[in-house]
Amino acid sequence: MSGKVQYRKGVKVSERHGAGEWAIEKIALVILMPLAVWLAVNGFLLTGAGYDGVAAWFASPLNAGLLALTLVAFFVFASLAWKVIIEDYIHKPGTKAALIGLVNLICLLLVLAGVFFIARLALGSAPLPAGFGV
Amino acid sequence: MQVWRWHVTMLASILFRFTIGAASAGAIVLVAWLGALAFGPEAYGVFLGLAASPVGLLVGVGLTLVLFSFLLNGGRHLINDAGRGLDLKPANLMSALTAWGPPVLTAIFWIALFFTGKVSL
Repeated sequence: MSGKVQYRKGVKVSERHGAGEWAIEKIALVILMPLAVWLAVNGFLLTGAGYDGVAAWFASPLNAGLLALTLVAFFVFASLAWKVIIEDYIHKPGTKAALIGLVNLICLLLVLAGVFFIARLALGSAPLPAGFGV
Repeated sequence: MQVWRWHVTMLASILFRFTIGAASAGAIVLVAWLGALAFGPEAYGVFLGLAASPVGLLVGVGLTLVLFSFLLNGGRHLINDAGRGLDLKPANLMSALTAWGPPVLTAIFWIALFFTGKVSL
């Protein structure tokens, strides 16, 4: 499985993909920090705004874009964080792989649904299920 | 496990794992909020009705707590991952901030919401 051991600046280079996943998890978390502050501020402002107030908020491409970025960055982070947690506690290979796959699938579905909803709100589309032949 | 004794850095680590789990549930609520909006004013009214119920408010307070916990604990983790703040003193300080900061910030957030009339019972 393992090839020739390599070093970069005196630190052993990851033989497989662990270091890459670690880096992606950190990058996602760095992106999420300012977005979390932004989310708290806007959550405060939007509380009690009603449908029209929230719809007006989504009409701003900046708001829609940042919220979509928040969702994508969060689920990238969450899928990797859950992977680490699962690997810490589940040691049966089949069960471990199945759980990680399930978490990734759920994260992917939630991102797709979330971004789809944001896009419709940003574009001012008619309420669902309009456009689906209903 | 016998070599372990309770320490605030350990609490911070456990709280972060707990926070990631709770934040995942929070993200599902966020997607549900987006879905309710996308299905129009009527569906959104149902969502708001649930959010204004006692259980809904409790969930709301919980989600704010999780958001602040994610922010503070995520920040601590990034600083520690960069190899900084690992000495006893800063590590203890950051862990304590991680544990006590979120409930304080959540209280301020909700007191401000009630004070500005955005939320009322």
